[in-house]
Parts: sequence; C-alpha cells; structure tokens
Amino acid sequence: MTSTRVLDSRDSVLPVFEQFREELDDHNDRRERLIKSSRDVTNLSKKVIFLLHRIVTDDAAESDDNIGRHAAARAKGKFREIQSLFAGMRPELTGERFSRYQRNVSPGLQEYIEALSFAHYLEHKSLISYDQVQQSLCDDEGNAYFPLTLEDYLLGLSDLTGELMRFAIASISRRGGRQKASDVCSFVRNCKADFERLTPHFRELRKKQHVTAQSLEKIEDAAYAVAVRTSEYDLPPEMLDDLVAQTVSHATDHSSFGDEPRRKRARDADIDDDFN
Amino acid sequence: MDQQNVEKINSILDAELEIREKIKEQVTEFDKKTRTLTGILNRIHSTRSEQMPALLESARPVLESCRETTAALADIIPADQFWKWKEMWQNSLRNAVFAALLVEYLHSGGLLTLPAVAETLGIKSEWQGRLALPAEDYLHGVISVVNELSRLAVNAVTLGDFEQPIKISLFVKDLFAGFSMLNLKNDTLRRRYDSLKYDIKKIEEVVYDVSLRKLAPSSKEPEKKDSE
Repeated sequence: MTSTRVLDSRDSVLPVFEQFREELDDHNDRRERLIKSSRDVTNLSKKVIFLLHRIVTDDAAESDDNIGRHAAARAKGKFREIQSLFAGMRPELTGERFSRYQRNVSPGLQEYIEALSFAHYLEHKSLISYDQVQQSLCDDEGNAYFPLTLEDYLLGLSDLTGELMRFAIASISRRGGRQKASDVCSFVRNCKADFERLTPHFRELRKKQHVTAQSLEKIEDAAYAVAVRTSEYDLPPEMLDDLVAQTVSHATDHSSFGDEPRRKRARDADIDDDFN
Repeated sequence: MDQQNVEKINSILDAELEIREKIKEQVTEFDKKTRTLTGILNRIHSTRSEQMPALLESARPVLESCRETTAALADIIPADQFWKWKEMWQNSLRNAVFAALLVEYLHSGGLLTLPAVAETLGIKSEWQGRLALPAEDYLHGVISVVNELSRLAVNAVTLGDFEQPIKISLFVKDLFAGFSMLNLKNDTLRRRYDSLKYDIKKIEEVVYDVSLRKLAPSSKEPEKKDSE
C-alpha cells in the first residue's frame, strides 16, 4: 500500500497524514487512559497511607509489634485493590509500550511504593527490597505486570521518609513512643545515607533527598526535646511517658501535620503542563 | 538496605550506565554526520539549479553513512527499551530525517515517505522495540524542511530561479493541508506546526513579488489563456 517512496500531490499526501492522525490519536488516548489509571492509584495509595497512620496512632494500647502487623494486615485488602488497577493497565503496557508510557504511570506507581514500603516498615521494621516491590506487581503465576524501574522504586522509597517522620512525631508522645521515634530516626538516617550514594544517577532523587533531610531533622529535633527533658528528671521510663505525653502534645499540634513539606512531584507538574 | 538489595540495585545501575555510555558514543558519531549534512545542505541557498544535482550527490554518501550509526544503536538497545533511550538521539535523528527529506525534495520535488526515510537511514522494521523512526520524529523533520524551504524561496529568486518559489509554495501547501488533519497536543510538534504559517506567508510573499513582475513561467501562463 505504501510502496510509493515519494508523494508528489496533495491526493497522495493527505491519506498518509490521515494515518499519522490515527497513530497520534491512538497514542494520546492510551496516554490519557494510563494517566487516569495512575491518578486512581495515587488516590487509593494516599488513602492507604492515611489508614496506616490512623491505625498506628489510634491503637496505641496494643503492644508495639502487634500494631504494625495489625496495620499491615488491614491494608492488605486495599493493596490488592491497587494491584488490580495495575493488572488492568497491563495490556496497555506490553512490549515496547512500557518504556513509552512509563513516565505517565510513574506518579501513581511511586505513591503505591510509598504506601507499600510504609506498611512493610510497620510490619518488619525494614526497607522493602526492589524484588519485593516487583513481586507485588506480579500475577498469580509470578509474571510481572510490567518491569519496575529503579527510578520509581527509589523515588517511592524516598517519600517513605516523610511518612515515617509523621509517624515518629505522632507516636513520640505515646507510651513507648520515644523508642519508636529513635528507631525511626536511625532508620531514616540509614535511608538517607543509602540514597545519597545513588543521587548522581537520578535527578529527581536529588530533590527528594532535600525533603528527606528536612524530615530527618524534624525527628531529630523532637528526639532532642525529649532527651533534654528526660535529663531533668531522674525517673523511670513509665513515669517519664506520662510527663512526655503532656509536654509533647503541645509540640505535635503545630509541628507534625501542620507544616508538611511540599511534596508535589515534579513529574505531576510536567503532566499538568501538558494538559494546558 | 540489606546487602542483597544493594547488589541488585547496583547491577541494574551498572547495566544502564553501560548502555548510556555506548549510546552517547554513537550519538556523537551521528551528530558529526548530521552536522556535515547540514553543512552541505546549507549551500543549496547559493547553488544554481544546474549545479544542484551535483550538490545533492555529495550529500548522499554522508546520508548513507548514517546507516552504520543506526545499526550500531539498534545493537546497543535491549529489546522493548526503545522509548526509554530515544531522547538521547532524537535530535540527531530528526536532523537526519530533515536531510533525507530535503535531498529528495530538491531531487524530485516530492515528499519522501516515512518508510522510505527509514530505509534511507537503514532503519529496519525488524528492529521494532529497539530502534525505529516514530511518526513524531518524521513530522519534526518535515517541519524543518518547510522552515528551510521558506528561506530557499527567497534565495532562489536572488539567484534568478523564479520557478522554485512557486514549486515550493505548492509543495508546502500540500504539507500544511496534511498537518491540519492532525490532532496535535500541546507539545513541541504543535508549536512548530503553529509556526508553519509564518513560513507559508513568507513563501507567499515571494510568489506574489515574482508573479506581479511576471517573472515566473507559471504566472505568464494564465495571461496567455486570457489573451486566447
């Protein structure tokens, strides 16, 4: 059909451009669909993160380990819901399409990884590995819906530190919270060090490292406040818990959820520009 | 991070870095070739139509040498990863497409099709997923040709070729009609398409000047008809 090498009249040019139109429309439609799905993933993931925060702060009566496991278990169903959204995107991302549309899927995927890694931390007190994230994006036969890029993995994890900061600050006034905050503090410190080594390769990660540094500083400041007050009293930890509960409850009012760092993703901004 | 995870990350990272380095090398080569081509094709503005075929002949071997680069690139890119890396060479590729299209227009007066451009640059259809010529890059090349032809319309007249602006005008109008059919998004292609009207205006002005002074052959024809 297109055996003619050279087009020399309007009648021959127009059908060729009609083909281009179909091709470009097809591409744009698919892109829009994936951006929509990615937004749905973002929404659901944000809800999971809020759910996890609520569980770990509300159920403070339970012992430490149990809360984490309990929270992760309750989030499981939500995660399955998100994973089914990824499964739905699969046909649009087969073969070379994935590398074409990866950046349109990224915002949702990174939010999902943030939620997943938060649940993972609460349950295991460790950082979820690349392989574990990829496994969560596989069907029952273990075939990946799409390959996980290193960038999405690392940027998702980088957001985790912000959640952990909120978690640490919110729990510091609770029983056993100081230990929790100190665990989170050293965990976030390690994360920051791990990511630092990788920043030369990922521009976005460099920006997020800055936010991570801020989060870390907030946890450190909170830990410092607690340490200073502790030193003034020669009391057993249980009694200190009572004391700290009173002291820090004022601080959390304006330091945890109030001045949340701006975390709007640059990628989101890019996409918004495209829509304009 | 545990050791195993760190190793996994490093191995992915190393593999990607290696690919990036290799592509960079080829893009540098590619750029050398497209710069040579642009250099040669710059001379169309000062070449009389009799000497044009010789000038185009000198561009052909350089154009064909791009095949080595595309073959080398296709060798480097892993299966299905075309879009991941394409931004690295897309400018060079668009320049090469521009050169191929311009050479063909000056040779035959027509538009080289996308598959024909791909063939000229040695891009094989079985490389799909590793290296291909996407419509977008082809269309960018087409717009560059229009930009260039609006200059040529002016310079051809200076050299005494009054026919060329009229041929260019018809050709560019056909292309513009084609572009008008596309639903373009708010991207660079759209912006460049929007700028086409200035090129067309410039060409029209040249055609007007030439026709008004009865310099072009085709502007004399209707006159003959009138007198018949």
